[in-house]
Amino acid sequence: MTSLQVGGLLFVAMIALMALRVPIAIAMFVPGALGFAFLANEAALLNQLKGSVYGRLSLYDLSVIPLFLLMGQFATQGGLSRDLFRFGNAMLGHFKGGMAMAAVLACAAFGSVCGSSVATTATIGQAALPEMKRFGYSGRLSTATLAAGGTLGILIPPSVPLVIYAILTEQNIAKIFAAAFVPGIVAAIGYCIAIALYVRFVPNQAPELKRAAWAERKAAIVGVWPIGLIFCIVFGGIYGGFFSPTEGAAVGAASTFFAAILRRELNAEGVRRCFLGTAETTGMIFLIFVGADMMNGALALSQMPAKLSETITGLGWAPLVVISAILLFYVVLGCVMDELSMILLTIPVIFPTVMALAPQLGLSPTEMAIWFGILVLMVVEIGLIAPPVGLNVYVINSLAKDVPMSETYKGVMPFLASDFIRTTLILFFPGICLWLVSVLFK
Amino acid sequence: MASLLHSAARWLAYIGGALLVAVMLMSVASIVPRALGFQPIQGDFELAAIGSGVCIACFLPWSHLRGGNIIVDFFTTKLSVKSNQKLDAVGSWLLAICLAVIAWRTGVGTLSVRAGNEESMIMRLPIWWGYAGMLPGLALTAIAAAWTGWQSWLGNDVEHHTRKDA
Repeated sequence: MTSLQVGGLLFVAMIALMALRVPIAIAMFVPGALGFAFLANEAALLNQLKGSVYGRLSLYDLSVIPLFLLMGQFATQGGLSRDLFRFGNAMLGHFKGGMAMAAVLACAAFGSVCGSSVATTATIGQAALPEMKRFGYSGRLSTATLAAGGTLGILIPPSVPLVIYAILTEQNIAKIFAAAFVPGIVAAIGYCIAIALYVRFVPNQAPELKRAAWAERKAAIVGVWPIGLIFCIVFGGIYGGFFSPTEGAAVGAASTFFAAILRRELNAEGVRRCFLGTAETTGMIFLIFVGADMMNGALALSQMPAKLSETITGLGWAPLVVISAILLFYVVLGCVMDELSMILLTIPVIFPTVMALAPQLGLSPTEMAIWFGILVLMVVEIGLIAPPVGLNVYVINSLAKDVPMSETYKGVMPFLASDFIRTTLILFFPGICLWLVSVLFK
Repeated sequence: MASLLHSAARWLAYIGGALLVAVMLMSVASIVPRALGFQPIQGDFELAAIGSGVCIACFLPWSHLRGGNIIVDFFTTKLSVKSNQKLDAVGSWLLAICLAVIAWRTGVGTLSVRAGNEESMIMRLPIWWGYAGMLPGLALTAIAAAWTGWQSWLGNDVEHHTRKDA
């Protein structure tokens, strides 16, 4: 069998297991282990397993993941989301559709202390949905705004998918976070524009409210300064060279904890909930890691990634065509597969192909890796809100049971358009993400 | 059995959480003297790495019992509830087998690393501590998965997340 055939067979086996409701991590682990034993031998497999799981779980760079998740839990349980929404509302509420824009702003701000999109959607959703309903916003606009806004949680650093991408491709986590800042702000602005256009052209979606008084705005600022401060300490420390991303995550988690304690919002019961919440997501992520490692080990033995790279390079397509084709493939795959598993599984396979394109595009290897990482993240975001299975849409609909999911999918369309435009912009102008990296890392 | 498993998993998750907080505090403690120009704790990152490794293993059983292991239900929505539960049982048992193998091999790894007196580079911490610390979490996950598989087979409710956060 050629290496492409072996690789293909492993993929088919994996998809078949997944289709039969086998947990994704195991659907990757089992064909991976069997393939490994077939390509090498059983003794090599057993020997590999002696240390591989320890090695993966106790990797220093990966300890940022549980720490950032803990930080997000403290922020969630600490009631910071309500104040963020109140702040956004005091600032933007008087525009037509302003309360939806405020929810986007709150999501963006919450994303700066939380690295997960589901947590952002759920947390801001709890604070914003009842208010939007009370003031007469349509269910379609409210749920769609929060589903889309939640994706800012993974775009604005910290970001769990970006940490994983950085580790898989051996890139600097701090650099890749820096590359996500500007696209994150562009995304938030793009969503606000989408809202403004939507309420202008579709009638009866949002009421007009009066401007908040300055006293109200000042009061709102008092509620949100801790988040601003924590963000500045964490990322100022990382980019100032004072500490590593892991230490930054530790400082962030500790300061979010103290902020929550000082607000008297976090008690012993809350801390217990934080631990269990962190445990749930961390365990899920790392089990997928273990499965993907096994699969990637087998794929590497089959030399399939290198062969795939040769084959694709041999086609002689223009680099941007290849990149677009890969992104399109991700959008399709994202319809049936969970986005995190998709990154873990495909990046090691596809990365050599992508890196081979760097010289033709005039980018350094680091720039290429960072730019591609941001593009992949954009596609993951699209997968989170696009039909047929947008995870964020599920999350928000479990909070707003009175809004049918089909309504939310209709409302999501302007946000998806905004996502597509932004992704295209970054595809043609890598500078949007690379500029800040070059400024911070001279 | 159910409550025993759940409380064991919950307590292991608390232990993991406490370890994570310890890692957090240690990292913060090592930054402060360094920022003030004093000699930092040498090799603190080794403790952080081993600590978070053990912590993550402690999180695994709870994550499984809470249905944290993502499955794809896209292709099987047309099947009956009963057929889906049988498939889930098989899925859980596969997970149990894989985790049991991993626990066994990590156990063998513990012994060989201990026999080899392997130590971390800077702090000279015995590496086998980290290996051994992961064993309870890995083993309990295998047991928990065998149990959830049995529950699905019997047609009892088991928590599931079809897709989870990226």
